[in-house]
Amino acid sequence: MEPFVFTLPPGKNLKKLRRHLDNDTLYDLVVKKGELVDCSILDTFDNEIRLSKRILLLTGQALLLINLANGRIIEQQSGSTWSFLSELEDGPVAGSLKGVSRLRAFMVVSRLKIRRDMGLILDDEGKTRARLHIVSFFRKKRSLQLGITQSLRGYERAHADLKSWLMKMGANLCRDVGEMYSRLGVKPKNYSAKPDIFLASEDPIKESATTIIRTYINVSRQNETGVVADYDTEFLHDYRVSFRKVRSVLSLFKGVYGAEQTAQLKQEFADLMKQTNRLRDLDVYLLGREDYFQMVPESSHEGLGILFDAISKERVNEHKKVCKMIERKSYRRQIDEWVDLYAGGNLTSGPNAMKSSNQYVAGLILKRYRKVCRIARGIDETTTDEVVHELRIHCKKLRYLMEFSLPLFSKKKVKVLIRALKVLQDNLGRFNDYSVQQVSLGVFMSGQSMSGKKSLKVAESIGALTAMLYQLQYRERNLVMENFAHFDSERIHASFIELFQLEE
Amino acid sequence: MKIVACYSNKGGVGKTATSVNLAYACAMSGKQTLLCDMDPQGASGFYFRVKPSRKLKKQAFFKDVDCFTGAIRASDYDNLDLLPANMSYRDFDIFLSRMKNRRSRLKKALKAVGNEYDVIILDCPPNISLLSENVFKVADKIVVPVIPTTLSERTLEQLYNFFNNNKYQKKKLLPFISMMQKRKNLHKETRLRLQKKYKNFLDNSIPFSTDIEKMGVNRAPVLAYARSSPAAKAYEKLWSAIQDKVKF
Repeated sequence: MEPFVFTLPPGKNLKKLRRHLDNDTLYDLVVKKGELVDCSILDTFDNEIRLSKRILLLTGQALLLINLANGRIIEQQSGSTWSFLSELEDGPVAGSLKGVSRLRAFMVVSRLKIRRDMGLILDDEGKTRARLHIVSFFRKKRSLQLGITQSLRGYERAHADLKSWLMKMGANLCRDVGEMYSRLGVKPKNYSAKPDIFLASEDPIKESATTIIRTYINVSRQNETGVVADYDTEFLHDYRVSFRKVRSVLSLFKGVYGAEQTAQLKQEFADLMKQTNRLRDLDVYLLGREDYFQMVPESSHEGLGILFDAISKERVNEHKKVCKMIERKSYRRQIDEWVDLYAGGNLTSGPNAMKSSNQYVAGLILKRYRKVCRIARGIDETTTDEVVHELRIHCKKLRYLMEFSLPLFSKKKVKVLIRALKVLQDNLGRFNDYSVQQVSLGVFMSGQSMSGKKSLKVAESIGALTAMLYQLQYRERNLVMENFAHFDSERIHASFIELFQLEE
Repeated sequence: MKIVACYSNKGGVGKTATSVNLAYACAMSGKQTLLCDMDPQGASGFYFRVKPSRKLKKQAFFKDVDCFTGAIRASDYDNLDLLPANMSYRDFDIFLSRMKNRRSRLKKALKAVGNEYDVIILDCPPNISLLSENVFKVADKIVVPVIPTTLSERTLEQLYNFFNNNKYQKKKLLPFISMMQKRKNLHKETRLRLQKKYKNFLDNSIPFSTDIEKMGVNRAPVLAYARSSPAAKAYEKLWSAIQDKVKF
């Protein structure tokens, strides 16, 4: 029998439940009262735990994970300090959090106090027939009692009775962590890297483009604190992706804004992005550290160790540079100017500004889709790498266009197409990463001042790594034709036409 | 899934106390455990405060999957369920082989209710009957409590002879000394003699203890109310020795 997850109305508690039981001679209620302890609610910046209807609590060294969807309460010792899932010791909580991003740091959402009480419904033999967990939360002057019943096999009737007593007491079904937060006065940041954007099909494209740009500038800004505090690498990643989306709108939506203003803004955004390029490259190397070590023979590990030490040092300096940039007055001024501009400032109009949003975007998508197909169909074993790179760039642009189009067309159908494209895009992405890494490792080496012996070790390891990366790039290269063949199906073609071929 | 039977052809040797505590130790080690109370006196159920179900009196109990799954009761402890005593174990052998067969309806029914057991512990009645013979066939190991007396030694010998005559696998038998009093030389000598005589005779022994006697008053496994007592520790060690033999 499903557990009943509920909150008790203010003023109600287990004592009052006992009064209901007194009339019933069959059962007795025994309450084991817990201690009041300090506690922190933990979550990732993008609220992965809350959005999956769970609450993660840290009390001292113990972790408690409460799932409101299925009523499960899981516990484990958290061990020494940890920020990432990969640093958390194995245990039931770690196991249950498996789907949560391994790149995201866990941060404190709020500090409060909790008490855990356990109620047992006993029969005349003293046998437990149902259990009741009550977690009381206390934050400032607010409090909340969350209850979860537990049915025991073979005693489903006692559980049903317990549930009906609780309902009579005024217990309310609770499936939403947000509701609990608001009762406790906890205000989490509602961050999403891909927020819902509301656009109207018939609105002029200039208006829609402005909304998209305004939204993504805001997403970038929300990441600034995290980039500076360096909680995890996803802050910088999201910061950059959002600005990249802004640039994509400016470059893909041709003729929407005035040519001169567009060129100037494109340049300004590009200049800003450039300053974070190196830090992201270094993050990518460091995140792939284990993979790199696995790629090369053990004899190259010493050299690779020296290389990664150098990368880590450089990252420290690069991060300082990015922090300085974000903290500079000129940066703040620049961001404020953009915010004002896209909040209804003086945006010039191009020849396409007044076209209806869906007509305009659909036209761009179809044109780009056809271009992707034309290039991809021409790829065979003899095609140069440059053409594969060109295909990758067009696929990326097509992806962005489709993502922008989500609010304008059937979300479900567009998402199917995005997923189909993603397989090919991931393949091309890896092809590009392996190729770029080969070049940049060489460049990295030439920029280092190391002693002869060290430098020799590093050169050896880079040699081994480059050979492996070349092989991996080659493997990805061979998969492109196969993956495109899947994307180039009748069904997908028909979907593109159905969705995006609009009558003028 | 593994089946561990607790069996003795002599009564009053601490068989039910062993079944109850082994089942508890097994569940505490994180394994989904089902303790089947096959003794008509229903003492295992008593120790867990579980009342026998009316449904169990039905003749075709083990043929009816829903009837069987419906009779299982959760104990007060995590991972530990109990099948209360049933007077008619007519089709028990069929039932046990179905438990082992992944594709059987019984197995699927248990899985559907989230009870795929890792270990089934059988508390057997103290006689050699059709039921116990079925248990001898299907169990992975048979734990046999032996009290250090001449009479009990003879009963163990009879059991081994029975296994020999009927060509059951003797290696399944895991005898151990129950109600051991270390101060008594006779007990120590008996254990040594039996260990020499039977290859699988376990080193472990369960002491004669008032903590075990109190199980009837506390109606719980010793491990649950006197965890640090020598008796509780002995049961824990016994379970870990059995675990090694069963090879999970």
